[in-house]
Amino acid sequence: MSTITELLTELFLMPLIAFMVGLAMVLMLRKIGARLQRRVGPPLLQPIFDIVKLYGKDTQVSHGLIHDIGLVMAVGGYVAAEIFLPVPGMDGIADKGGIITLSYVMMVPSLGLALGVGQCANPNGSIGISRALTAMLAYDIPFIIVVFGVAAHYQSTSLVGMIEYQQAHQWGIFEMPLLAAAGLFALQGMMGKQPFEIYVAPAEIATGPMVEMSGKYMGGLFVMQTFQLYTAGVLYTSLFLGGGSNWFEFLLKIFVVVAIPMSVAFVFPRYRTEDMVRIMWKWPVMAALIGIAFVL
Amino acid sequence: MSVLDDLLLFTALASVAIIVVRRFASVSKLSVIVYALATVLLVKMSALGYGGEPIYSSFTLNVLGQNLYWRFDSLSWFFALITVVIALFTSVFMSGAWAEKYCQEHSTEAYGLLQAALVLNVLSMLVLLASGDLLSLFIGWELVSWASFMMMFLNQDKVARKAAIKYIVYAMAAAMSILMAIAMTYSMTGSLDYVQIMQAVAHLSNTQIALLVTLYGVGFGIKMGVIPFHLWQAAAYAETPGPGAVFMGAISARMGLYALIVIVVQIFSLTRVAAIEIPYTFLNMQNILAWVGALTTIIPTYIALKQNDARYLLAWHGVGQGGYMLLGVMIADSIGTAGGIMHVFNYATYQAALFMAVTAVMFRTGTSNFSKLGGLVTQMPLTFMVMVVSIIGLAGIPPMNGFVSKWLVYRALLLDGEPLLFVAAVIGTLGTILSVYKLVHNTFLGQLRLEHQDVKEAPLSMLLPMLGLVLIIFGTGVMPGVVLDWVAAAQNAVGIAPITHNLGGIELAQGGLDMIWVTGVMFYGFAVGAIVFYFLGGKSKHIHQFDNYAGGHFLTSKVRYHYSNHFYAGLMHLIGGWYKDFFKKLEQALVSLVSFLSQLSENFYRSAQPAVLVAAVAFIALWFIMSSFSMPADTGTVAPITQGIQGGLPK
Amino acid sequence: MDNIVLLVVLPLLAAFLMPVLARFSEVVARVLGLSVLVFAIAIIINVWPQVNSQATSIAIGGFMPPIGISFYVDQVSILFALAIPVMVLLFWPWQRKTSIREYSLMMLLTASSSGLVLSGDLFNIYVFYELLAVASYSLIAVQGRAVSIAASFRYLLMGSVGSVMMLLGIAIIYTQTGTLNLAHLSLLAPLHLDNMAGLAAFALILVGMGVKAELFPVNNWVPEVYGSVSSNLAALMAGLLSKLAVIVVVRIMVLLFPQPEAMQLMAMLGILGVITGELVAWRARDFVRMLSFSSIGQLGLIFLAFSIPGDTGMMAGIALALHHMVVKPALFMLATGWSGSLENLSGVARRSPLTVLLFVLLILSLLGIPPLPGFWAKYLLMVGLAGQDSAVYTLGMIAVPLAMIVEIAYLFRLVMIMYRKEDTVKVKAHSKWGLAIAASAGAALIAIVLQLQPAGDKLTTLAQQLSDRNYYIMTVFPQFHTAETGMQSIK
Repeated sequence: MSTITELLTELFLMPLIAFMVGLAMVLMLRKIGARLQRRVGPPLLQPIFDIVKLYGKDTQVSHGLIHDIGLVMAVGGYVAAEIFLPVPGMDGIADKGGIITLSYVMMVPSLGLALGVGQCANPNGSIGISRALTAMLAYDIPFIIVVFGVAAHYQSTSLVGMIEYQQAHQWGIFEMPLLAAAGLFALQGMMGKQPFEIYVAPAEIATGPMVEMSGKYMGGLFVMQTFQLYTAGVLYTSLFLGGGSNWFEFLLKIFVVVAIPMSVAFVFPRYRTEDMVRIMWKWPVMAALIGIAFVL
Repeated sequence: MSVLDDLLLFTALASVAIIVVRRFASVSKLSVIVYALATVLLVKMSALGYGGEPIYSSFTLNVLGQNLYWRFDSLSWFFALITVVIALFTSVFMSGAWAEKYCQEHSTEAYGLLQAALVLNVLSMLVLLASGDLLSLFIGWELVSWASFMMMFLNQDKVARKAAIKYIVYAMAAAMSILMAIAMTYSMTGSLDYVQIMQAVAHLSNTQIALLVTLYGVGFGIKMGVIPFHLWQAAAYAETPGPGAVFMGAISARMGLYALIVIVVQIFSLTRVAAIEIPYTFLNMQNILAWVGALTTIIPTYIALKQNDARYLLAWHGVGQGGYMLLGVMIADSIGTAGGIMHVFNYATYQAALFMAVTAVMFRTGTSNFSKLGGLVTQMPLTFMVMVVSIIGLAGIPPMNGFVSKWLVYRALLLDGEPLLFVAAVIGTLGTILSVYKLVHNTFLGQLRLEHQDVKEAPLSMLLPMLGLVLIIFGTGVMPGVVLDWVAAAQNAVGIAPITHNLGGIELAQGGLDMIWVTGVMFYGFAVGAIVFYFLGGKSKHIHQFDNYAGGHFLTSKVRYHYSNHFYAGLMHLIGGWYKDFFKKLEQALVSLVSFLSQLSENFYRSAQPAVLVAAVAFIALWFIMSSFSMPADTGTVAPITQGIQGGLPK
Repeated sequence: MDNIVLLVVLPLLAAFLMPVLARFSEVVARVLGLSVLVFAIAIIINVWPQVNSQATSIAIGGFMPPIGISFYVDQVSILFALAIPVMVLLFWPWQRKTSIREYSLMMLLTASSSGLVLSGDLFNIYVFYELLAVASYSLIAVQGRAVSIAASFRYLLMGSVGSVMMLLGIAIIYTQTGTLNLAHLSLLAPLHLDNMAGLAAFALILVGMGVKAELFPVNNWVPEVYGSVSSNLAALMAGLLSKLAVIVVVRIMVLLFPQPEAMQLMAMLGILGVITGELVAWRARDFVRMLSFSSIGQLGLIFLAFSIPGDTGMMAGIALALHHMVVKPALFMLATGWSGSLENLSGVARRSPLTVLLFVLLILSLLGIPPLPGFWAKYLLMVGLAGQDSAVYTLGMIAVPLAMIVEIAYLFRLVMIMYRKEDTVKVKAHSKWGLAIAASAGAALIAIVLQLQPAGDKLTTLAQQLSDRNYYIMTVFPQFHTAETGMQSIK
C-alpha cells in the first residue's frame, strides 16, 4: 500500500518542486542578466507576479480548440517529463521509461506548442515554428549523440541506474569530459537561451512564435519555461554530475548547471537559425563523436 | 482442407466474384464482407500468432522436378493479418461517399477496377506470404509486383503512368536479380526447399553467401525502395487513386521485408552474414545491410521534407520508414528484430490512417497540394485529430505505437554499441518530425482559404475506418504487448530468440519500457496542464478564424498569408545545397548508357554489306576456334564428348 | 511408319503440280495444296503414338545407313514436323488474292522444312536447307513491294554466302570422316571430328545455318524482311523457320560436336544476339520492327540455352523455342492491324480492350512472368546457366536479366501508349483470322499453365531424347548395343 501512496505523493510533488525550482531559476537568470548589464534586476517574487499578472489579464484571445490544447500539451508534456526525472528520494516512474523515453516525451511540449501556434493562422507564428523546429533539428543531434554515449558508457538507459553508477564510481563529467561539454552546449540550445534564443524571440514577440499568445497563453508558456530550465538542469545533473544524494547538493548542482553556461553565453551575440544549425552540427557533434570513441 | 486452403481459396474466389460484379454498386459492400471474412479466417489461425505450428496448404504443385508448396508460419500470419486488416479498413473507407464521387468523376467501371486491383493485391500477397519454397516465393513475388502495377495503372494521368512504367522496370530488375539468385542457390545447394537450403548453407563459402545475399538483397531491396533503389516508389504509390495509395503505402513494399527476413535472416542466418568481411573496410555484410537501412531512413525522409504535395510527402516517408525496419532486423538481436518487425505493424496502421486523412482532404477540397490548402482544422476537426495521432505515431513520439518500435530499435543499437547507426536513425526521426509538422500545418493549420469555407467534415464511411485505425495506433501504443506477442512468435519462426515482453512493453535490467505507465503519466501531465490552463486565470475569448492580423495590419481572408511555401527556408538555406539529385542523375546516366549502346547495335543492323559480313563472321569464328583449341585430339579418347553431355536433370 | 516420307514427298509433288493444274482449274490447284497439308497432319497424328514410345529411323529406298539416306523420327522431330503443316495452314495466304505461285512456294517451303527436321544425314540437310532458302527468298520477293524485293535480295546475298559456308563445313566433315550420315558421324566424331578441322566445320555450319536461325551477327536481314512482308509470312518465318534451323544446328552439335569450344562459341553468339536484339528493339519506333528485333533477342536466348551442356539447358532451349513458336507468330498476327509507328497505337485500348489484354498476356509470357509458360523456360535457362562454371555462361547469366529489363522497358512503354487517354484512331482493324490465331495462342499459354505438371514431364522426355547421343545411334544402328560397341565395330 505504501508504494501506491508514495507514488501518488511523487506524482503530486515532483512537478510542484520542479515548478518552484524553475521559478527560482528564472529569477536567477534574470539577476545574472541584470548584473552583467549593470542593472539591479527584479525583486524576489517577480516571476510569481509575472505569472499571476499574465493569468489575470482581461484580453485573452483563443484562436480555437487546438490553440488551447497546444498549451495544455506544452505544460502537460513537461509535467510528465518531471516524473521521469529522478530526484533525491523520489524516483517517480523513472524505471519505466529511461533516457530514450524522456528525450521523446520532451518533444511533446514542442509539438503541442507548434500545433497551437499553427492554429493561430498568423504567418509570423508559423515562421517562428519553422525556425523552432529547425533549431530542434540543430540541438537534438548533438544531444542524442551525447545520450547515446552516456547510455553506452553506463550500459543502461535507466536514469536511476546511471545515478547509482556515478555515486558508486565517479561522476560522468570526469569519465566523459568531451561528452559533458557537448551536452552542455546542446542543452543551451534546447533551453532556447542566449545566444540561441532567436527562435523563441522573447524580445520580438510580434515576429516570433508567441505572436498570438496573450494573457494566460503567455502565462502557460512562462510556466513551461520554468519546467524547461528545471528539466535541463536535472537531466544534465543525472547524466554527468552524479545526481544528488541529498537535496542541498542536488539543488546546488542544478543551479550551477543552469547558471554557468548562461553567464558565459550572455555575452555572445545571437545566432541566426541556420548559423545555429551550423555551429551545433560542427563543434558539439565533433566533440561528442570523439567522446564516444573514447567511451566505446 | 486446412484453414490456409480455406483462406487462399476463399480469397481467390472472392477475387473472381469482385471482378465479375465490378460494374455493380454492390461491389463495395461485397469487398467489405470479403475482407471481414478473410480476417475471420486469419483469426481462426491465430494460434500462429502465439507460436503455433505452421499450417500447410493441401495444394501442392510438382513441376520440372520441383515440389512447390504453400504454408503459413507465424511470420506469414503476422504480415497477412496486417495486409487483410488494412484491406478491410481500406474497403470500408472506399465503400460509401468516396465510391459515389469516384464513380461520378470517372466511371463505375473504374471503381470496379480499383476494387479488383485491391482484391488481387491482397490475394497475391497472401500467396507470397504462404510460399514454402523459393519457386513459390518467386511466383508470389511476381504476382505481387504485377498486382501493384495494376493498381498504379488505374490513374491515367501522365505523371502516374510515368511512375508506373518506372516501377515496372525496377520491379523487373528486382525479379531478375531474385531469379538469378534462385538459380544460383539451386546450383549451389541442389534444392529450392527452405529446409534443405538451410542445411546446405553450412557448406557454402563466404563468397557464395555474399553473392547470394547481394542478389537477394538487391531484389527485395528494390521492392522496399532502399537506397539506392528509392526513386521509383514515392511517385508510384502517391499517384494511385486514394484508397489504393492507402493500401499500397501501408503494406505493399513490406513484402520485400518479409522475403528478406525469410531468406537472409531465416535461411542464411545473420550470424553467417555477419561473418562475411568486406575487404579493405571494417565492415561486414550485416553492417552493410544495416547501413543501407540507416541511409534509407535519412535520405528519403529529407526528400519528403521538400515535397509540396501531401501524398508525395507521405509516400516518401513510407520509403524512409522501411529503413527503420531493415535497420531493426539487421541488428540481429531479439530486441532489434522485434523492433523492425513490430514497426511493420505500427507503420501500416499510421501510414494507412495518414493516407486516409489526406484522401479525405482531397475528397472534400479536391487537392493535396500544400499551396492550395490550409486552416481546415475548423472544418474537419476529426480528420485533423486522426492526422495528429498518426503523425505522432510516424514521428515516433509517445504514447503512439510508432514510438515503441523505434524505441526497440534505438535500444538495440545502444546495447549493440552502434553510435553512428543510432545517430542516423535519430536524424531520420528528426527529419520526420519536421516534415510531419509541415504536413499538418500546411493542410489543417494556418489560414483557411475562402473557397474552403463550406468544406464539411469527411463523411462517416471515411471517418469510421480512420477512427478505428486511431484506436489501434493508440491502443497498441499503450499496450504494445498485444503486438509483441505476435512479433515474438514471428521471431521464433525465423530462428531468432523471441523478445521477452509484457503487456506494457519490455522489462530489462538496464532500463526497460512500460508504455502503460508512460501513457498514464503523460495523461496525468496533460490533466495537470489542463487544470492549470482551464481553471486558473481569466476566461479566454474565442475569435473567428478569419479574425487575424500580422505586422500591425488586420488581414482579410482575401489576402493569402498562409505560410506554406518554402516552409523550412532557413534550414534549406543551409542543407539545400546537399540535395544533389545524385541518384536521379545516376538513373539518367544509366538510361543514356542504354541509349548509346542501343545506337551502336542499331548501326550494326544497318550495315550495308551483308555478304561481306557473313564471310567476316565465318572467318572470326574460325579464328576463335583455332585460338581456343589447344591440341588436335587424335588419340581416340571419348573424354571431350562425355564432358559435354554431363550435367543432370533438376531433382 | 514409312509414310513419314510422304510428309516431304507429297508437298514437293504438290508444289510442282500446282502451277500445272492451275492452268486447267485454279480451284483444284488450291484445294490440292490444302488437302496435302491436312493429309500431312493426319499422317503425323497417326504415327504419333508409335514415335512417342520409340524413335525410328527410316531408310529411304531400302538402303540401310550409313550407305543409304535416312530419316530420323523421334519426339522432337515429329513435334516440329507437326508444327510445320499446322503453321503453314494457319498462315496460309488466304485473305489476299494470291497467285498460284505463292501457294506453290508455300508447298515447297513445307516440303523442304519437313525434310530439314527429319533428315538423318548432312547432305540431305544441306539440300533441304537450300530448297527452303529458295522458297523463302521467292516468297519474300513475291510480295511484290519494292522494299520486299530489296529485302529479299539482301537476304539472298547473306543466305547464299551462308550456304557456301555450310557446304564448306560439310565438305570438311566428309573429308575427315568419309560419311555424311549423322549416326555414323556421331560414332566417328570422337575419333575424327574432335579436332581443329572438326570445330572449324562446326563454326561454318553454325554460321551458315545461323542465317536462317537469326543468329547474331548474320541476322541483319531480319528487320528489313519482316518489315516488308505480310504479317503471315513474317509470323511463319520468325515462328517456325528460325526454330527449324536451330533444331538442326542443335542436333548436329549434340551428335557431332559436344566439345565445350563449340558450345561456348554458340553461347557467345547467343548472348550477343540477346543483347543487341533487345537494345535495338528499345529504340524501335515501329511495331513490326520492334517485334523483329525482339525476335532476334529471343533467338539469341534459345541459342544460349541450347549451348548449355546438360539436360537442363536442353530443356530450357526446347521450352524457349516452343514458347517463342507460339508467342511470336501471335504477336505478328496482332501486327496486322497495328503495323506502323508506335504512336499510332495511342489509346487503342479504349477501342479494342480485349485485343490489348491479349497482347499484354503474350508479352507477359514473353518476358517470363510466372506462372506463365515463358517463366518456366526462363527459369530453366537461368538454372542451366548457374550450373556452369565457364565465364561465357556467367556472362550469359548477367546479360539475360539485363536484356529482360530492357525488354520490359520497351514493351511496357508500348502498353502505356496503348492505354493512353487520347484515341488517335490511326489503326486498322485486325483480320479476324489473325485475331483468332493470337487468341488461341493466348489460350494455349493459359492451358499450359493449368497443365504445368504434364507439360514439364513432356519437356523432360523431349530434352532427354534430343540430348541422348547413344539413343540416336542405337535407333539408327539397332545392331549395336551400345555406342562403344558401335565404335569398336566402325574401327
